[in-house]
Amino acid sequence: MKKLAKILVMILVMASLSACGSKTEDTGQNAAQGGGAEGNGEKVQLVVTWWGNQARNERTQAALDLYAEENPNVTFDGQFSEWADYWNKLAIASAGSSLPDVIQMDYAYLGQYVQNDLLVDLKPYIESGLLDLSNVSEEIVEVGTIDGGVYGISIGVNAPALMYNKTLLDEAGIEVKDNMTIDEFIALSKEVYGKTGYKTNIAYQKGNNFSEYLLRGNGVNFFEGEQLGSTDPADYKAYFDLYEMGIKEGWYVSPTIFTERNAGSVEQDPLVYGSSPDSRSWCGFFFSNQLTAMQTAADADGIEIGITSWPAKDVKAANYVKPSMFLSVGVNSKNPEEAVKVIDYWTNSVDANNILLGERGVPISTEVAEAILPQLSKTQQDVTKYINEVVMPNSSQINPPAPSKSAEVYQLLSQLEEQVCYGKMTAEEAANQFVEKANVLLQ
Amino acid sequence: MKKKNQSLKQVIYLVVVSGLGILMIYPLLWMVMSSFKESNTIFTTAGQLIPSKFIFDNYVNGWKGFAKVGFDTFFKNSLFISVTATVGTVLSSSLVAYGFARGRFWGRKALLVAMLLSMMLPAQVLMIPQYLWYQKLGWVGTYYPLIAPYFFAIQGFFVYLMMNFIEGIPNELYEAARIDGCSFYGIYARIILPLITPALITGGIFSFIWRWDDFLSALLYVNDSSKYPVSLALKLFSDPGSSSDYGAMFAMATLSILPIMLIFIFLQKYLVEGISTSGLKG
Amino acid sequence: MGNTIAAIRKKLYQDNIAGVVCSLPFIIGFLLFMIVPMLVSLYYSFCDYNILAPPVWVGIKNYVKIFTGDPTFYKTVLVTFYFAFASVPLRLIFALIVALLLVKSTKLTPMYRAVYYLPSIIGGSVAVAILWKRMFATDGVLNNVLGLFGLNRDFSWLGDTRTAIWVLIILAVWQFGSSMLIFLASLKQIPASLYEAADVDGASKWSQFWNITLPLLTPTIFFNLVMQTINGFLAFTQCYIITQGKPMDSTLFYTVYMYQQSFEFYNTGYAAALAWVMLLIIGLITWFLFATKRFWVYDGGL
Repeated sequence: MKKLAKILVMILVMASLSACGSKTEDTGQNAAQGGGAEGNGEKVQLVVTWWGNQARNERTQAALDLYAEENPNVTFDGQFSEWADYWNKLAIASAGSSLPDVIQMDYAYLGQYVQNDLLVDLKPYIESGLLDLSNVSEEIVEVGTIDGGVYGISIGVNAPALMYNKTLLDEAGIEVKDNMTIDEFIALSKEVYGKTGYKTNIAYQKGNNFSEYLLRGNGVNFFEGEQLGSTDPADYKAYFDLYEMGIKEGWYVSPTIFTERNAGSVEQDPLVYGSSPDSRSWCGFFFSNQLTAMQTAADADGIEIGITSWPAKDVKAANYVKPSMFLSVGVNSKNPEEAVKVIDYWTNSVDANNILLGERGVPISTEVAEAILPQLSKTQQDVTKYINEVVMPNSSQINPPAPSKSAEVYQLLSQLEEQVCYGKMTAEEAANQFVEKANVLLQ
Repeated sequence: MKKKNQSLKQVIYLVVVSGLGILMIYPLLWMVMSSFKESNTIFTTAGQLIPSKFIFDNYVNGWKGFAKVGFDTFFKNSLFISVTATVGTVLSSSLVAYGFARGRFWGRKALLVAMLLSMMLPAQVLMIPQYLWYQKLGWVGTYYPLIAPYFFAIQGFFVYLMMNFIEGIPNELYEAARIDGCSFYGIYARIILPLITPALITGGIFSFIWRWDDFLSALLYVNDSSKYPVSLALKLFSDPGSSSDYGAMFAMATLSILPIMLIFIFLQKYLVEGISTSGLKG
Repeated sequence: MGNTIAAIRKKLYQDNIAGVVCSLPFIIGFLLFMIVPMLVSLYYSFCDYNILAPPVWVGIKNYVKIFTGDPTFYKTVLVTFYFAFASVPLRLIFALIVALLLVKSTKLTPMYRAVYYLPSIIGGSVAVAILWKRMFATDGVLNNVLGLFGLNRDFSWLGDTRTAIWVLIILAVWQFGSSMLIFLASLKQIPASLYEAADVDGASKWSQFWNITLPLLTPTIFFNLVMQTINGFLAFTQCYIITQGKPMDSTLFYTVYMYQQSFEFYNTGYAAALAWVMLLIIGLITWFLFATKRFWVYDGGL
């Protein structure tokens, strides 16, 4: 018994040592060192992390090299990983109080990281002019703002985008108009199915963004603070209704095809891939910065991809402009000022953006965006046009970042949607269960 | 008559073994063939095994690597990590296995249970505490976490594997060695190691492959992209939600199998010609 | 002075002490690299912990939730048992048969061995995920082959809750190479003299297998059984890279569920509790296996 007690005490001591003890210690040290490093142009090394593919790794590294050339006191340690690995590594680094200096951040994670005090408030640097946002619209700065602090600077403008098989629809003589309503979208899906045999995919298994969009179109927020935006299952039913109807009437793709493809792989999306019309979709629910990837994938089949807004009851209320990703500064950074300078450079330097070429989305500085426009590919110019001409005039402010339990709630949504598509559940049951279980999760 | 029967048997053997072999290897063949297709046609022509035109672009694109670090570097890193960790594993595991198998000391049973228990905890749950611990040791950002533990026989699998073989060695041999004046350690070096060569080779092959395929510890502990191993670099070709270069990925995945294949083919003859057979004959 | 050194030397050469000395690497390694992370994870299992913020002690709350408030837990335990009980025996039987076929040396054997071992080499990379899905896709290889025999070729093996798990089981069996190698090495350890003696006695090959090969292999079979059972219950990659538990959690492995809880939902404390429950389950099963050992495992010198 005595032995057991001894062991327990040992566990506690060790756990507290390795888990939280280091946190306060390190931050204190950082603050002290941070003051010294800047003024005298000492050598600093900055860790910059991002996720992405070969092209992005290449360009980002080149842009950082250019910065290092212009600022000889700065060297970079650029670290890149695949999306899922990236977030694991970042979370574990936060546990070890060793967050990188400059972090590529996503809207889905921003709220959580801010809530846990892991990112540096950039507002003082904006006010002091170190971070120059004079060419950036206020709305865009607003999306990175939480409780009055600015925690992320958007590095690309993005918007929900319905991409469709333009080649197919042109041949069938079907026209797609911008800002469709839901009923128009359903009618269109049926028409395409009738004329070509191509089915429809509505963001299967990644429906959190679209369901949120639908709800916005009805004047409801998906989340309100840490709770669901509505406790009325009827509000969530509209989303499940689409699947139920589509499966019943035959115009929705079979859910089984998704089990045979790599989740999230653009190349295997039913819009561009599938051996017969009934395993393919005429459209896909994406974000505008994915058009390039989508078009590249579609080239194999000789298809041209069109782009328009997602359908909703009231598109103006539903649609929004979204940061494709942010740059943030980690609290463990020893040289936050140097990190901020990099973000400033990233935002305002035409030279850097001539290398980056809007691969992450349209640059937020209007001046930079204009300067690099001629260099963009046709597809990228289409995206810019879509955002400027279709989304900007007909949208409203994006919802605040989702609460920390959102990942579990989204998973619940996907699971219920799967049940509906497999015919194990009606839309009504799914909606009831969703509200009931989501409330438990969010307690 | 008997001869005919014999050759019929041989034919059946050949058909069964080759037929099964094709079944085993078909998926791999598909991967290798895909690496010679144009990257964006891999999925659209998935039903067709042989590419209509063999191209080598994927190998060229893939070999370039990422942000100035080429695959030659990744291969060197992987080789270094896998070879050192494997040497450590084989040496330490065989020694510890010998100590457990032939030593009769107090606490031996408890250690064995501890070893088994440590194998039963899912590795994923140890990621965070392990990271924090290595950070305390100042090892994050180095190869130490990928190599050092393996010199301490922390993979129970190998210890058990070798214990299993050491226990299969007849007692008479020990006694004979004892009479000849061999010490406990002498027996390990002169009798055990040569006799369990097949087990050492088997363990070596496993260890090498597992280290070669392991990306998780590299992800957590290696920061500098010029120190990435192949396993981690391979994952960088795919980016969900944006364009992935599957052609290059398949090409580099094909190349990454080659070293293991070569090592296997080179070592497997020692599996067969293990000294054990001749050594035990007498 | 010289006396004490000599005494120490003598001590070191005593069998029981020498045993400890040889085991030292493990003892040190275990204390240095394993024990602390294991205990810390045990500590986490009694905490609310989301990685991003320090853990907060909550007692047995996580364990209570596992058994009373989490239907997915039971579902994944069932799936994991199903997977382990199907894949482990199949894998071992397959490995043993192939090892027996490949033990005799002909010119082609090295090539065959390489071919049978290849699938185990590629492990669980993204490439495997893609190619394995292609094999079992509705328009994939398997259905094409079935079509040649005039069978229904529109079945979605991965999309059906009854068959999807088998796609993973077959992948596990396909990668049987490690067990095969161990069997091969072990077969090589059986003294040829035994077979020679049996030949002199005129025993048939079949009776040689039953009376010599199999009994002498039982320790290796036992070893493989224990290791593969542990691996089977801890299986992660097959599910994680191929099905992610779909459709409808019918293929959701325990460890993958645990991983989701830990790294997707950031319920890391809860995930740690799940891990220790798993350790208990595997521990019991392993203990049971060891208890049966004396009934069927050949033990004793030659």
